[in-house]
Amino acid sequence: MAKPKVKKDESATAAEPASDVVMDEAPTSHQPENDDNMSVDPNENGEEGEEGDEIEDEEEEEEEVQRVRLLPGSTPTAASFEFLNEGHTLGNALRPDVEFCAYAIPHPSENKMNVRIQTFEGTTAIEALQKGLRDLQELCDVVTDKFIDARERFVAASAS
Amino acid sequence: MDYDPMIMDDAEALGPVVKISQADSVRVKWELSNTDISFANSLRRVMLAEIPTIAIDLVEIEENSSVLADEFIAHRLGLIPLNAEGIDSLLYSRDCDCDGCCEHCSVRLILHAKCTGDENMHVFARDLVPTGDRINQVLGTPIINDSEGLGPLILKLRPGQEIKLECIAKKGIAKEHAKWAPSAAIGFEYDPHNKLHHLDLWYESDPKAEWPPSEYAAWEEPPQEGEPFDYDAVPNRFYFNVETAGPLPPDVIISEGIKVLQQKLAGLIHELADEGGDGGVNGDGYNGGGPRSPEYGAGAGMDGFNGGYTTPFGGAAAGNQSAWGGAGGATAYGTTPYGAGSSWS
Ligand SMILES: [Zn+2]
Repeated sequence: MAKPKVKKDESATAAEPASDVVMDEAPTSHQPENDDNMSVDPNENGEEGEEGDEIEDEEEEEEEVQRVRLLPGSTPTAASFEFLNEGHTLGNALRPDVEFCAYAIPHPSENKMNVRIQTFEGTTAIEALQKGLRDLQELCDVVTDKFIDARERFVAASAS
Repeated sequence: MDYDPMIMDDAEALGPVVKISQADSVRVKWELSNTDISFANSLRRVMLAEIPTIAIDLVEIEENSSVLADEFIAHRLGLIPLNAEGIDSLLYSRDCDCDGCCEHCSVRLILHAKCTGDENMHVFARDLVPTGDRINQVLGTPIINDSEGLGPLILKLRPGQEIKLECIAKKGIAKEHAKWAPSAAIGFEYDPHNKLHHLDLWYESDPKAEWPPSEYAAWEEPPQEGEPFDYDAVPNRFYFNVETAGPLPPDVIISEGIKVLQQKLAGLIHELADEGGDGGVNGDGYNGGGPRSPEYGAGAGMDGFNGGYTTPFGGAAAGNQSAWGGAGGATAYGTTPYGAGSSWS
């Protein structure tokens, strides 16, 4: 039963390779290119020459993609922001200390997340957003330290 | 696990508390308390879907006389866990300067097996051989944890059948395809007695008898008989069970998860800080115009922040700990740039 199959496949593979897409030409990942939160930036050190120019072009393109946008109708103390390539992970975790804050993902097939912030007198919505982000960052720092600490204690306790 | 009375002292302190109750090479069971559920959930989401690992993404089949179709085998290959140690130094191939793939953004693996005996032959992940230059000697090697050292079964060959192919493994995240997930499963649980009524447990006649108690039920005070419902109560203790699929050790999944969150935040803070410079931000121009609006804190504040921002990305593979600095205000983010807040207001 296996024999005829082997033959058939051999003939197929012998004839076909030329028409196959070479691996190097296959399309790259479908992940959005501007989702750069965690990618290692190869262009950190600008270089000279032709290569350098290319790198600069790329950098310019990247900068054009604005990931945070202030939506029309915003005032200094009551503003709506649109985040590209962010979702519940950031939207729900972001809890600035303000009069009102809410987030929404207007449509599931659009990679956008909107945040509405209304502040008390004395701070602007942008400042409140920035503070919210930085507070969350500090929380991450603290949890990392606590986790490393707990791991060390656990390792020490199980060794003894 | 035994209830550790030490935790009571810790819990009274301000700020989040972490306690590990069980840990080995496959899983870490730990408790995060004194934070809100939104942070705990974000951490869970990020550990599931956004930690970069490496997985087979392209397969070139030279010979396949097995009974399985080429694409079927390619799919199976994609799901084989590969070692992701040192993944930070690997580029996403979309960010690489090369044309397609190279040793800076991919790992090549070869599989060649032919059944020459008269028994069916099993082809395992151990038969996948990494070739060519690699960032380090383990990145991209199939994870093999069974006692025989075989790894997952890829396919079987009848006598005379042959499989010969070349794979390119690339860096990616599980948000794009689950094959890049570092974790096999992440348990996430809170409020074991359902005091907060976040769950509406279905039952035939008696929910207590039909729903077995969680292993964490003993860790928290059960509700008193006839206790009134506390409308203001919020969840405070979160029980994680992080189980790795092999690419990264379970404790690294946790620290990498926090790192991904950090990078997300750092990127946004950086962009917000830059935004003063371009007029496209808003329609009503309250911060438009000028190269950099004063409300974004010119000069020292900006530079100081940028200094903090580059650390987590530039940090060597050795780790998160050094790159993130000490606790609280002493962090790379917290010290100079916005300690007092004066430079921002
Ligand atoms: Zn490359």
